[in-house]
This record gives sequence, C-alpha cells and structure tokens, in this order.
Amino acid sequence: MDLTAGGARVASVARSERTGAVPAGTVLAGSVISLVGLTWDIQWHGDVGPDTFFTLPHLFLYSGSAISGLASLVVVLMTTAARRAGRQVDARVGGRAINVFGKVFAAPAGYLVTGTGAAMFLLYGLWDQWWHGLYGFDAVIDSPPHIGLLLSITLSIIGTVMVFAAAREHRWGTLGVVGTLGVLIAFSTVTVLGLQQIDSDLVDVVSVGIALLSVLLVSAGAGFWGRPGGAVRVAAALAVIQAITWWFSPWAAEAYASAVGLPMRDYIDGVPAMPAMMPMALLPIAAVLEAVYLLSRRGWTAGRVSVLAGGIGGFLVGASMPIQNTVVYGGDSVDWAVVFATAAAGTVFGLLGGFAGWRFGGMLRLLAPAKGDNAHA
Amino acid sequence: MRKTLLALAAAIGLLFATTPAANAYEPVNIVHTERVQIGPYGMTVGFSTWPLRAMQSLDFTFIPDDGIAGKSGTLAFLNPETGRLGRPQPLAKHPRKLEVWGLDIRALQTEGSWTFRFEIDGPAGKGAGELRDLTVLEQPGPPMAVSWSISLIPLIVLAVLVTVAWRRTKLRLRGNGLPATV
Repeated sequence: MDLTAGGARVASVARSERTGAVPAGTVLAGSVISLVGLTWDIQWHGDVGPDTFFTLPHLFLYSGSAISGLASLVVVLMTTAARRAGRQVDARVGGRAINVFGKVFAAPAGYLVTGTGAAMFLLYGLWDQWWHGLYGFDAVIDSPPHIGLLLSITLSIIGTVMVFAAAREHRWGTLGVVGTLGVLIAFSTVTVLGLQQIDSDLVDVVSVGIALLSVLLVSAGAGFWGRPGGAVRVAAALAVIQAITWWFSPWAAEAYASAVGLPMRDYIDGVPAMPAMMPMALLPIAAVLEAVYLLSRRGWTAGRVSVLAGGIGGFLVGASMPIQNTVVYGGDSVDWAVVFATAAAGTVFGLLGGFAGWRFGGMLRLLAPAKGDNAHA
Repeated sequence: MRKTLLALAAAIGLLFATTPAANAYEPVNIVHTERVQIGPYGMTVGFSTWPLRAMQSLDFTFIPDDGIAGKSGTLAFLNPETGRLGRPQPLAKHPRKLEVWGLDIRALQTEGSWTFRFEIDGPAGKGAGELRDLTVLEQPGPPMAVSWSISLIPLIVLAVLVTVAWRRTKLRLRGNGLPATV
C-alpha cells in the first residue's frame, strides 16, 4: 500500500483519494470499538454486576486501543521507511512527520499522538489490573486507573481527529474530523466523572465539565469547518452516537447476561447509563451557537464571537444537564438552585471553551499541508 | 495494508474465541456476621472479608431470620467522613446468591465507623434499625494523591502538546483567527 505520495506534488486525485484513508479509518474504528466497549461495560455493571478482567466489554475496550495503536505503529514504521528511502513524506497522511528518538523514527503528528495514547492505555491497563487485585472488582468508574485509561483513550482520539484534519482536502477528512469530535464528546462524558472527587452540594461539577468539553469540541468543529455548519455537524454526530448506544447498551448487557447465565439485578432503572450522561440538548444548542457565529459577518472578530457563543453554550448545557438528569432518572422535582448555579459555572467555563475550541479548530486546519491545485475547500 | 488488516482481524477473532466467558463467578463466601434488629425482624449481616478496609470491595449479605419472601426493605449508609446519610436504596437479591438480599462488588470508600440503616416492610409490619460502629480500617495501597498524580499523566501530556501547538501556530492564527463564514 502506498502511504506516501512518492514525492509527486501533483499526484493524481484518484491516487491521493486513497492515500491515508485506510489507516485513518482503522484508528477511527479502534476508537469506536473502545466506545462500544465502554458503554457496554458501564451498562453491564449497573444492570448485571459481577466483573472479571475477561469480560466481552473489556475485550472491546482493549482491542479498540490495540487496533488504534497497531495502525499508528504501522504508519510510523512505513513513514520512517519512506524517509530513509529518500521518498518525500506526504503530510496529508497524519500530518507533518516529527522526529522521534533523534531521527530514529519519523512519526506523522496525528499517528504519534494516537500511538502514544494507545501505548499509555496498555500501561494503565496493567495498573488497573494491579488495582483490582488490591481493591477487588468494585465497578467504580472514577478510580484513578480508570480515569488514566479514559484519558489515554482521549489522547488516542485527539490523535485521530488530527489524522483526519491533515487530510482536510478530502471530503472524508473533514467529515472524519467532525465525526471523531462527536466520539470525543461521547467519551468525555465518562472521563469527567473524575470530577466527582470535587465535593459540591450546589454546583453539579460533572455537568460543568460536560458543559466545558462539549462547548469546546463543538466550537473546535466550527473553527475547523470554517463556514456555517461545523458546530451542528459535531453535535449531530454525538446525537447519532447517543441514539445508537441508547438502544445498544441495555440490549447488549441483557444479551450478554443471558449468554453467561447471570440474572439481571432486581432494581434496574431502565436508563442506558452512559448515553444518559451525554448532553441531549446539544444539537439545538449548537444551532444557537451557529446563529451567534453569524455575528462575525457584521465585522466582529470570529475568535471573539466564539467566546461569546461559548458562554451562551456553556450556560445552556450547564442549565440543561441537571434538568436532563432529573427527567431521565425520574426525580421528583428539579432543584432550581443547582440548575442556576451549574448554569452560572457552565457560562464561565463555556467562555473558555468557546475561546480555546475555536483556536483548536484553527490549529487543526493548519495540520493539513497548504492546499495544492487539486485541493477542494 | 489489506494483509495487515486481515491479520489483525484474525488475531481479534482468535481472542474472542479463546476468551473465557464471564460465567466463572465465585460463590459468595461469608467469613464474618453481625446481628441487627429491625423493628420486629432479626437479621444477619454477612461479610465476605473481615476486617473491612476502605475501598476494598466485598460481598454483603442481608438475611432476615425467616427469609426474604414477602418482605421488602431499604438500606442507607451513614458515611463517617461526611457525616451524611446516603439515599436509601432498595434491598435487592444478591446476584450470585439469589435466596438472600445482598450487595456485590461494593466497597466502603472511607475509613472510620460506618452505620447501616435498614427499613423493612413485611408480614409483621414496618420496622427500622441500625447496624452501628462498623469499623472500616485504613485503605491499603498508595495514598490517593499519588494514584491520582499517576493517572493524570495523559492529561499532562495533552497539556504539553496543546501548549506547543498553540505557540507554534500563534503567528499563523494571529489577528482575527479564521472567518466564521466564507
């Protein structure tokens, strides 16, 4: 397979269309398999219970990272071989090559980040094993090794976003960025559970974390897309993931329990645990953000508009999450003090998310080589 | 690449085929019991580990003297660190010992003197009672601050990556950034 453009600046479009799509698709597949494993695993603990290291959901989690890691390794080795052979390395495949260990390896930026995340995942996997040996399989999602594992996958997925961003001149590249940003929001809703360590009665700290990260990633989509529609596309990707996992995770937990002959727990609340953590109102909120971005047509600086949009988005996500939790889990009444306090904190972090997200979107654009004659916007 | 993918798929298939099923679960082993009176109901609380240590998960069993049939109840924990009574949860059948109530893979998170507060409704009417002074010893393993520091390394790697990328792209993105509309 040809990962490099063979030094030809004006490679035929048909040839370059193929270039990089397979490894990019493979690392994305790894991320999606990890996501499937995570949503299944969390549902399993809630609805069925007992855990060992060798459950099917765990296998999905680990093989997802292994696939992303191996694909990254293959690309890095092929890029290194190409450079040693004196061939020009195509920056559309994962971004500009970075020297690793002196000049021993040439690693495209995106694959370097994905591979590093996957390698760290394996190390945290070992640590998690040790942790379970000491504390038992306690099904605590926010244990330090679990958060380490989730952060490692997050790093891998960020690398995957970079891989697609480098192929921006292809349609699959731009769509891959917004789709993978959706995967990243879905994942981050679990990672932010680490914030439960911060004890607060008034502010729903986890929802503030979701407000920050969802606004940041939606803004990154907008900044990357560069024309109206980026934010909505990222939110739509999350909505699709939420819809599929809403159906999948309870079904998979029950099917697996029946396959291994375990009963379901007595009191199942019927809520798909991980999909219920994803912000349900993000799609309309992203539409509001898109409307705010239009202000830049009136001569406002786009980056500043994004700060304003981020604040509004943070307010809306912050306010909607406690209400969503009450509705989904059948609570008696909405605690409005918590809603307002969380919305206020969400606004502050949303401003930051809008600022940084837009900038990240711009940084992702720069990962792609300058457009050639055969590039399309 | 196609060959690599095929090899990868084969390796994953092999993993699936050889993975032991999750049905290798162990029987519930009670090594210590405590008695508690809940109104008219006497109950035995069983522990699969003794003494208890913070954060170590174990099996709890809750066995009313004449069985769980026709009864329902709730359990709430009084956490010694926060001094707060948690939300009462329904007493449910133990997933691996279905004839009694119980909790599996559950840990008491902090050391100190815990209280379990029970309420039971059954043929003899409603009753409430507490199992007090349940001593939970210090957690084993490294201090949590050390564990969290190790876990946050990927976040530090990410922060370094973002900082470097931010600085390197500063000039190219300076000014008004990118237009929101083309």
